[in-house]
Amino acid sequence: MTTTRILTVDDSPSMRALLNHALTTQGFDVAQAEDGLAALDWLALNEVDVVITDINMPRLDGFGLIERLREGSRHRDRPILVLTTESSEEKKARARAAGATGWIVKPFDPVKLVAAVRRVAH
Amino acid sequence: MFEQRIHTPTLAPPERITVMQGQALVSGEPGAEMSTVLGSCVALCLFDPEARLGGMNHFLLAEPPSTAAGGAVDEYYGTYLMELLVNQMLTRGARKARLRAHLYGGANVNRNMMRIGSANADFARGFVQREGIELVRADLGGVNARRVDFRPASGMVRCRTVEDRYAPPVQPSSRPAKATGDVELF
Repeated sequence: MTTTRILTVDDSPSMRALLNHALTTQGFDVAQAEDGLAALDWLALNEVDVVITDINMPRLDGFGLIERLREGSRHRDRPILVLTTESSEEKKARARAAGATGWIVKPFDPVKLVAAVRRVAH
Repeated sequence: MFEQRIHTPTLAPPERITVMQGQALVSGEPGAEMSTVLGSCVALCLFDPEARLGGMNHFLLAEPPSTAAGGAVDEYYGTYLMELLVNQMLTRGARKARLRAHLYGGANVNRNMMRIGSANADFARGFVQREGIELVRADLGGVNARRVDFRPASGMVRCRTVEDRYAPPVQPSSRPAKATGDVELF
């Protein structure tokens, strides 16, 4: 059984640290990016099974990241979970239209997050 | 002959905004002054000198039941509360690299709550440090309640000790029932 590889995209080092802890302790292989552009750079050179992204980020936000990933064929079917402080239905609809796989509102529950990752990864 | 007019500057009283426990408020109004009274609670004040924008939160994190003996805070919820303030600042035009932080509170006012005040102060310091935000001033700990007055448009802060009876009763900001990190798959 291969390890599920996850890229977490969040401009907050505190949030990245929490995500890293929550996921690595459950056996996931976790990489981190600080915004959408850094995520695109990393994804150009690496393979991943699931992307978890914040929405509000400098340079390239979560919406832009999802749109850019869905433009090409390589990440067209890649599970992308949005993890955000945003709670508006309008932004959730925008994420869905951009091609997000799921929507999780912070503060996240590590158990529910891990269950969601396992569900979309397989 | 020149007419000479003498203008008397009008010193309007500040528009006082009380920041209650659990709130995070941001303003760029020159006349606004945010105020709060802290016992064991901690307030983070953020200021962007270029955007002339400031914000303040006021929190006391609950101890997770499983770790009550250790005096630990719910870091998932705490990080979320901090991120709310930072995001409000960024949405209004601030830049994270320009942010300057002040931290106040976390006093050991109530002996029974000593570890909560200290744990919350440690959490707030750790958050500011991890985020790479410049900490301009921290007045944390001790045994006295504090009153903090913050002018968000100028970044000016006044912090003074007050009698403990002015501090709000200690009610840790437990994670609301609805904030359970629910997942919706499309």
